[in-house]
Amino acid sequence: MPIIETKNLSYTYPSASRPSIQDISIKVEKGEFVLITGPSGCGKTTLCRTFNGLIPHFYQGELKGEITVAGKNAAKQPTMEMAKHVGMVFQNPENQLFALSVEKDVAFGLENLGFDRKEMRERVNWALKLTGIYDLRERSPHEMSGGQQQRVAIAAVLAMQPEIIVLDEPTSFLDPLSAEKIFEVIYDLNQKLGLTVVLVEHRLDLTAKYANHIIIMDEGKICFDGKPREVLSKQETRLIGVGIPKATLLYEMLKKEGAKLGNTTPLCSKELADMVQEALK
Amino acid sequence: MSVFDGLKFRKVYSPIHNLDPRMKFIYVIIIFAVAIIFNTIIPLLTLFLMQVPFVMLARVQKQWLRSLRGAMFLASFIFFINIATNFFTQGYTLNAKNIEDAATMTTRFLVLVESFSVFFLTTSPDHLGLALEQTKVPYEFSFAFTTAVRFVPVLAEEAQTIMDAQKARGLELEKGNFLKRIRNYVPVLIPLIVSAIRRSLELAEAMEARAWGATKKRTNLYALKFNKGDYVLLALTTGVLIVAVYTVLYVPVPTIRALLGVP
Repeated sequence: MPIIETKNLSYTYPSASRPSIQDISIKVEKGEFVLITGPSGCGKTTLCRTFNGLIPHFYQGELKGEITVAGKNAAKQPTMEMAKHVGMVFQNPENQLFALSVEKDVAFGLENLGFDRKEMRERVNWALKLTGIYDLRERSPHEMSGGQQQRVAIAAVLAMQPEIIVLDEPTSFLDPLSAEKIFEVIYDLNQKLGLTVVLVEHRLDLTAKYANHIIIMDEGKICFDGKPREVLSKQETRLIGVGIPKATLLYEMLKKEGAKLGNTTPLCSKELADMVQEALK
Repeated sequence: MSVFDGLKFRKVYSPIHNLDPRMKFIYVIIIFAVAIIFNTIIPLLTLFLMQVPFVMLARVQKQWLRSLRGAMFLASFIFFINIATNFFTQGYTLNAKNIEDAATMTTRFLVLVESFSVFFLTTSPDHLGLALEQTKVPYEFSFAFTTAVRFVPVLAEEAQTIMDAQKARGLELEKGNFLKRIRNYVPVLIPLIVSAIRRSLELAEAMEARAWGATKKRTNLYALKFNKGDYVLLALTTGVLIVAVYTVLYVPVPTIRALLGVP
């Protein structure tokens, strides 16, 4: 059974004239690393907000269709109930940390759920170690860099041990190097814990290699849904404002020029480099 | 934005910082009460000097002196008002008694300022929020308090950015008379308020996503506990109170002018 399943999902924000997402039908399997991408304003964020019930509970508006997340009807369950299953990391790290110390922030969700102190402490330390910020636990979030803050936000949802973690452009406030580190942390969680990851991201150059499922959206609709290598090698994706990885583009150019390269589309420069080396032998 | 620097609490570890904020608060209240029951200068000066070891132990001398310097204007105001009223109501004479009375009032004010500043200089906002929570103040209030403290530096930074942006577009903040200058700040305030509201919505969203309000009985990662130091402070506070009450009732405290033999 898919862990996230939507059927003909449409949603209109209150006082909006047309729906932000239309007829979305997707299936996400447990343990997948899903990448959602598409031009700005295509409804990626809106779709993510339906996963933990922020839509329709927090935003009101009109939600049609069916949505099942972790076996629950996300449109009916309140967000605080869904929060146990779906952890959500937002774009701006500054606006999702409330406490005056890192460990207190990581404990926030557990405190809300009423965990006892001993278990809370264990889970907080576990989450801090996994995200590599255990040494910063007594620092104040506002003294930290954006990358560190975003790690705190990830640790904070991780501590609640959800089955799914949804990250909505978690690196748009970060420099490329910190962004890369964040993606590594996320991939690590996906591999080690078997956590289902839904990542909304523009930078396919850095992320396509981690994903095993990619969804491309445009104007509130799903355009492509499938395996990254297949989807990204389609010519139609070039017409939508999607940042196809440079390695993939270069591979196509070389192919067109008649270079004898393998047939699997590369998703990152390392894969392409290996292919070229292989061809040069 | 140096105005906001005072609100940034820096984590320091000292025996005073680690004390239970509730005990420290009780201590401050007792010092307050004692400062009010005495109206002679010697006990008040003793109270004043009693705080100095705390300041030294907590290693906050610099900030403490700064807060005292801040209080100097009001202190001298109190001193002169006292001298003036005594002078006009007691037959237009300026004698040692008038000066000593005025000095007493000023010292009392300084004791109040000083003990409060020691309290706030050595209590982290986190601790204070925790103390509020554990004294059964509804969590919404203590959360609002700690969040406000948490966002002061963020908003200050944002105000600076908006000011720079508006200046880059030709806004002159320091121009014109007093009223005009206030009006100059409107183009800074409006974006600041708008962004603060937007920020609060994002915050609310993030709180929802982390199960805010899931249970009635919210737990806490930290617990305030009475340690050895707190018992020492408790003993000290009780001691101060007993000595003070005993002195007021049974020991005639001499004035400085009596000691010096000045009429």
